[in-house]
Amino acid sequence: MSAFDKQKMKPLKDPIPMRLKFRKVGDLQYISHLDLQRVMSRIIVRSGIPAWYTQGFNPHAKMTFALPLSVGTQSICEFIDIKIDREIPTSEILDRLNAQVTEDMKFSAAYVPTTKLAQIAWVSYEINICTDTSDGTLADKVKGLLTTRPLIMKKRSKSGEREVDILDYFKSVTVEQGETLTLRVMLRAGEGSLNPEMIVTALRDRLGLLATAEESYTIMRTGVYFEDGREFE
Amino acid sequence: MSDKRSVLLKSVSKPGRYSGGEYGQIIKNKKAVNARFAFCFPDTYEIGMSNLGVRILYGALNEQDDIWCERVYAPWDDMEAKMRAENMPLTAHESGDPVGEFDIVAFTLQYELCYTNVLNMLELANIPLLAADRGEDAPIIIGGGPCAYNAEPLADFFDCFSIGEGEENLVEFTRLYIKMKLDHTYTRAGFLHEAAKIGGIYVPSLYEVTYNGDGTVKSYEPKFDDIPRRVTKRIMKDMDKAYFPKKPVMPYIETVHDRIMLEVYRGCIRGCRFCQAGMVYRPVREKTPEVLCDQAKCLFEATGYDEISLSSLSISDYSRLPELCNLLLEWTPESMVSLSLPSLRVDNFSRELMEKVESVRSSSLTFAPEAGTQRLRDVINKNVTEEDLMRTVTTAFEGGKTSVKLYFMQGLPTETEEDLDGIAALAESVIHQFYQTPNRPKRAPQVTISVACFVPKPFTPFQWEAQDDLETLLAKQEYLYQKITDRKIKYNHHDAQVSRVEAALARGDRRMSAALLEAHRLGMRFDAWSEFFSYENWLRAFEGAGLDMAFYANRRFGDDEILPWEIIDCGVTREFFAREREKAYAAKTTKNCREQCSACGANKLGGERSWCPNAKNPL
Ligand code: SF4
Repeated sequence: MSAFDKQKMKPLKDPIPMRLKFRKVGDLQYISHLDLQRVMSRIIVRSGIPAWYTQGFNPHAKMTFALPLSVGTQSICEFIDIKIDREIPTSEILDRLNAQVTEDMKFSAAYVPTTKLAQIAWVSYEINICTDTSDGTLADKVKGLLTTRPLIMKKRSKSGEREVDILDYFKSVTVEQGETLTLRVMLRAGEGSLNPEMIVTALRDRLGLLATAEESYTIMRTGVYFEDGREFE
Repeated sequence: MSDKRSVLLKSVSKPGRYSGGEYGQIIKNKKAVNARFAFCFPDTYEIGMSNLGVRILYGALNEQDDIWCERVYAPWDDMEAKMRAENMPLTAHESGDPVGEFDIVAFTLQYELCYTNVLNMLELANIPLLAADRGEDAPIIIGGGPCAYNAEPLADFFDCFSIGEGEENLVEFTRLYIKMKLDHTYTRAGFLHEAAKIGGIYVPSLYEVTYNGDGTVKSYEPKFDDIPRRVTKRIMKDMDKAYFPKKPVMPYIETVHDRIMLEVYRGCIRGCRFCQAGMVYRPVREKTPEVLCDQAKCLFEATGYDEISLSSLSISDYSRLPELCNLLLEWTPESMVSLSLPSLRVDNFSRELMEKVESVRSSSLTFAPEAGTQRLRDVINKNVTEEDLMRTVTTAFEGGKTSVKLYFMQGLPTETEEDLDGIAALAESVIHQFYQTPNRPKRAPQVTISVACFVPKPFTPFQWEAQDDLETLLAKQEYLYQKITDRKIKYNHHDAQVSRVEAALARGDRRMSAALLEAHRLGMRFDAWSEFFSYENWLRAFEGAGLDMAFYANRRFGDDEILPWEIIDCGVTREFFAREREKAYAAKTTKNCREQCSACGANKLGGERSWCPNAKNPL
């Protein structure tokens, strides 16, 4: 498999859209969205898949990312739309892409989309906290904090900092207490969405969790959904 | 079961510098290898990952099944503070294992101002700073890269240095280590003694240095009869056959050179008299266009980069440049890859070809006249004329560019006020030329002049020269500032204090290790970054070590003086440097290697596809 292979594939009359699903886990969680965009374009070039290029002064493979992921958050459900302009089976697209990435970023699906990325309305996260869970009421405290309005926090956006009730973004939250503390939250996606890191900040500020170097946490984006709650595809 | 690493990475700026896991990194079974090699770059990840030399040596060492070479970079200060607070040692990028547990720890020395980072990294790795204090189990510390040509200021901290091109020599060195370990003949001293017999390996502790009453070097005496009196640098003779890294590590975060760097040839035909690289990388050795085209294709497939930059000291001096460009242009447009040629000289390159390649992906053109008058340009043997510059800018203006960057040096030997005036005048002529160009762009022109301070470097015809003292450097900067009145001319200059420290370190001898140790104790690191550099601290460090910075930076070294770096033989002879210096005083230029050999001595090293008279396959 080579970057040059696409030149041997049969051209299509019109480019067709192609949706790719991939994960961004492990060490890749530390890479910013901007860096991911550059990395992705190189992966596409190396793989030799017939990605359609934008025309103009600085041509590059056309890519549209679904929801940006913030640094420190992992995901098993990232979507990106590209276009292809030559004939290639979707299984080959997957094989070619997966030959060019590490375990931290594997592609799990490639298909012609029938929906728009903008239809994503909800996004779910699992937040796992390694902390002292010997206090049996911890889960209830966390649940209480995350369900009692208002929970006012400073939120940064392009237009500056403002105070918001972060619970406005919540659809649901569950808390499980075992060896670790596991939060599952469903948040509103799209413009001005809530960075799940803010939930961690709330736990730190209001409940004193994650105050020591002995405690740690992970955040995983676990799913994206249509407005009616069906899983996005 | 907290995850310390993730806590740490989530709390620092740019965690991608440390997270690793890049595509293309080399992972081996540490139990199955015979030597673990930590290749340290004493600056940030972004800079280190862009270094072609490191990439080559990383690949060359890992080609050996039983050697595992890993990368190490200097942590930024926020990371360092956390590491110290948590008592976490410096670790290697691939395995995350502490650097102190490695067999061999190498540092590439790219510029003098990274020396304090070397010491800081040794400390973070819990490795004793002084070579003399290291026990049998401590890693062997080896240095290399351009600053190893005068490594004397670092002599106390390193067990040895690799001089010249390291592709073969580092492998031989590590093989010797493995052999002695496996047959149980290894002792630290025994190994270093054997290593000193490998071509290009310099073991400073095996040479006794004595000094004259005035502080100059009296002699270098080898402590054993079976090691060379002078250490001759190593070169790769045939560049077509030299190791070439086919699968580079792909950084996830943006690095300084995020593109394919195609090394076209080594060495330089020019012989600018201030330039160390142009002297110590001699002789020129070219690759053939066919080999280069194959290598470029291979790198494109391995990286997916959309830009190829032809990288060499002066790319337009490559004897087969049009051929190479045409070969590359056969496939690059279809693959959406652009070709860029840094620092192009228009004098020997066709306009038609130039239109097909982008000189840089920006609207600006860079040109380095280095001096303001033809006289001074002749003194430094920079063979460009004002006409060359005007022709180049005219072409650029016609091609739609409006911004021109000009590089100069101040404080060059024999410089007068007239030469400084010349810098301003040259910038003004470029502006004038813009308005003389009939089909110029509509936007207003912008000329940026960037003026560095002359730093006398070892192994150059100016190695004996004194640097202007600080007051003079500053006065000249101010003078030039007053001279430039046109608002379309932007004037930048280097920090004179930094240049002075650089000059002192560049021409230092072994006693300077004490000043470096002192600087380290004062908490200095990242001196190449203006936010960390402190001239006051450097003055204190020199004072604390009982040394005078002026002795190294501002003294004119004696004609017959033994120079601290002459323990190294870079191929080019002292006689050549002295001849060139005389010609400089007489403002006489020297022909480049292509026009005529001037018997610099580097031909004794051999080399294929070179301009040297005795070369195999001469150009
Ligand atoms: S020996 Fe002659 S041709 Fe070769 S590098 Fe020296 S001056 Fe140039």
